Amino acid sequence: MGLEEKLPEGIITTQLETLVNWSRENSTWPLLFGLACCAIEMIATGSSRHDISRYGSELFRASPRQADLMIVSGRVSNKMAPVIKRLYDQMSEPKWVIAMGICASAGGPFNNYAIVQGVDKIIPVDVYVPGCPPRPEGLLYAMDKLRAKQGKDNFRTYANLNASPAPATPEDIESLETLRQPQRA
Amino acid sequence: MLNVSPRQRPYETLPGLTPLGIPAVAPLPAGESDDTQRLVERFGDAILAAGMHHGQQVVYVKPEQLVALAEFAKSDPKLQYEAIVDVSSVDRSELPADGARFHAVYQLRSYARKQHLMVVCPADEGGDPEVPSLAGVYKGAIWPEREVWDLMGVRFAGHPDHRRIMMPESWPNHPLQKQVPVGGEEVPFTLTWSDPEFESFGKQVMAAESLPPVVPPGMSRENMIINMGPHHPSTHGVLRLVVELDGETVVNVDPDLGYLHSGFEKTGENKRYKDFVYYTDRMDYLSAMSNNLGYCVTVEKLLGIDIPERAERLRVIMAELQRVASHLFWLSTHALDVSGTGMALLMYATRERERILDLFEMACGARLTVGYMRIGGVSRDIPPAFLGHLEEFLRAMPIRISEYESMLTHGPLWEERLRGIGKLTRDEVINMGLTGPMLRGSGVDWDLRRDAPYSGYEKYDFKVPVFTEGDSYARYLVRMEEMRQSLRIIRQAIDNLPDGPYRVEDRKVTPPPRAELDVSMEALIHHFKLMTEGFQVPPGMYYHGIESSKGELGFFVYSDGSAKPYRLHVRGPSFNNLYAVSKMSKGAMLSDIVTNIGSIDIVLGEVDR
Ligand code: SF4
Repeated sequence: MGLEEKLPEGIITTQLETLVNWSRENSTWPLLFGLACCAIEMIATGSSRHDISRYGSELFRASPRQADLMIVSGRVSNKMAPVIKRLYDQMSEPKWVIAMGICASAGGPFNNYAIVQGVDKIIPVDVYVPGCPPRPEGLLYAMDKLRAKQGKDNFRTYANLNASPAPATPEDIESLETLRQPQRA
Repeated sequence: MLNVSPRQRPYETLPGLTPLGIPAVAPLPAGESDDTQRLVERFGDAILAAGMHHGQQVVYVKPEQLVALAEFAKSDPKLQYEAIVDVSSVDRSELPADGARFHAVYQLRSYARKQHLMVVCPADEGGDPEVPSLAGVYKGAIWPEREVWDLMGVRFAGHPDHRRIMMPESWPNHPLQKQVPVGGEEVPFTLTWSDPEFESFGKQVMAAESLPPVVPPGMSRENMIINMGPHHPSTHGVLRLVVELDGETVVNVDPDLGYLHSGFEKTGENKRYKDFVYYTDRMDYLSAMSNNLGYCVTVEKLLGIDIPERAERLRVIMAELQRVASHLFWLSTHALDVSGTGMALLMYATRERERILDLFEMACGARLTVGYMRIGGVSRDIPPAFLGHLEEFLRAMPIRISEYESMLTHGPLWEERLRGIGKLTRDEVINMGLTGPMLRGSGVDWDLRRDAPYSGYEKYDFKVPVFTEGDSYARYLVRMEEMRQSLRIIRQAIDNLPDGPYRVEDRKVTPPPRAELDVSMEALIHHFKLMTEGFQVPPGMYYHGIESSKGELGFFVYSDGSAKPYRLHVRGPSFNNLYAVSKMSKGAMLSDIVTNIGSIDIVLGEVDR
């Protein structure tokens, strides 16, 4: 309190953690990546009427290296599962996952040989959005939930991350052992 | 392998739900037509049966003569079956019928004579079931035959590229065979913290191991081989293309499908007829209404019911709105891929598309996966305000289409990227079994709405745009004009929309209205029977194609007389159309592949099913 009164106008003080979280909350870049029907609603969320750029998330990045958020928008087939896994591994920390729709959350209507019953079997999920497909409003609400979660992050979470270093070679990424390692402390 | 569990879901084992004593069926034709007569005269003993079945020409032929028959049907001036539109198969092991276990089913089409012919060929037993491949006669058979091999396990002798197409090469079985279980997981009905299932529930970490990359046959390691997709922004989903490049020139393209294979057909065979309507939404999710329509019309044909006029008109309104919505989406993503004005166009086109989705929402409560149609009509009547909003949309839309055209049609960038790219001649598109705008962009004057009318399309006055250039630009013009024609059709449908019921009154397929349940015991029984058992469809088989926004969307239903389809096959137009991408891209630049994919207009949900 005391310090702020003495500072010239236009300068505020805050904690570094809060500042970092604040900026992460307001510019979470999703991975440009669509799977099935839900992807169409994701695109609708990104375009004119629903306008995801109000959340600072309009930049859908095609490269996983530049993305913070993976929106798993649709059903995950057995053939696609390794690809999703690898994309997730290629994203740099901190990273978040939204399972959009019932297929990504739990397999949905496709309880059969072809579909993985929930993407949480291959990557950790932060927010689940119910719906088939969720409306754009639903996805925006999920973004809100995610922001709340991002706001509570602290640096200590990431300090321990080196316990599971990023796998180096494709062979490492794909082996069962790396999948079993805890992704986050 | 992941996820294959031999367990059935509990409701399927409840007594009384699967009627025993299924009649022994091999849907046999009766009567004859000129075409079947001609084939019988020519092939004599090799024809096992021939004639009409549910109003369709069907020929059963011995495998030895299959190729000869196809060649004859193609070249004979009196038959002219120039194209193959679909190949499917039936595993008859659960039918109490004799004869070969597998039947391969071919759909031939004559564009010149507007005729359709179904050819059924029992597979040779002994070792792997096998039929001769038609790939030498029709290029359009290559991919569908691979699909049959992959999913059903029927070999095609002499096939030039006999690989799996959907499932990974290491997949242990052919999922559509009847002895293979549906798979999936048994979900506990109730779950408490003390249940042992909870230990693992939602926590299993599954093996997600990739297969080592293989160089597709026909590609040489001398050149550069790159991988496009399945995570690539301009493949419109999860399509993977393996591209062989010499510098920047494309030498060879090998599409790798199946990244969105969701087992629709197998699921359909385990659902009651009425329950599968909602799955069709999720196949081509950009034209859910058309998918609903195609499925409902097919089952109605087998049931032999006619639906009320109002329902028919409502269906046409919805299907045409959906065509506009789908073309708008195609336009915006295509423009985004190839042209500089893309992002603006995406925003504009989405604006109009949202208005259509609003209309859908008014009618049925959902935006994308609508599930609006029912076997026997539509699920509910349109609300009173619907028509007013629709009128407003019809007034605004032509101006919008002109706006888009003014942004694109004569834009130098647009022309440069589209003109002369992905050229296909008339003979090629027919031989490859392409449909929809792919046909009409290459000079084939064919539209199922006009040439094999369903759902009352013969009552509408509309033009079928045809361009002869065969390049991406021609296909662009076709689709733009189709949007205008769709608006015309909607206009006529509104003007002639009669009052009356929106669903057949037949209590066998339509549940009684809610109010009736309180006063009538009979209604209650009907309702109960319909909800628990569904309705039974008489034995037989039927193929029906409709003109969806991407081309011919066909449903093949093989019924054994029970409440579930014995075999359900979907001919996804994008699947057959995508076959052309190799031909279109060979010799072109790498960047033209993007144009070609956009110009084919694929939806992966439908390609992979
Ligand atoms: S949740 Fe529904 S809409 Fe989303 S991918 Fe699955 S089936 Fe499609």
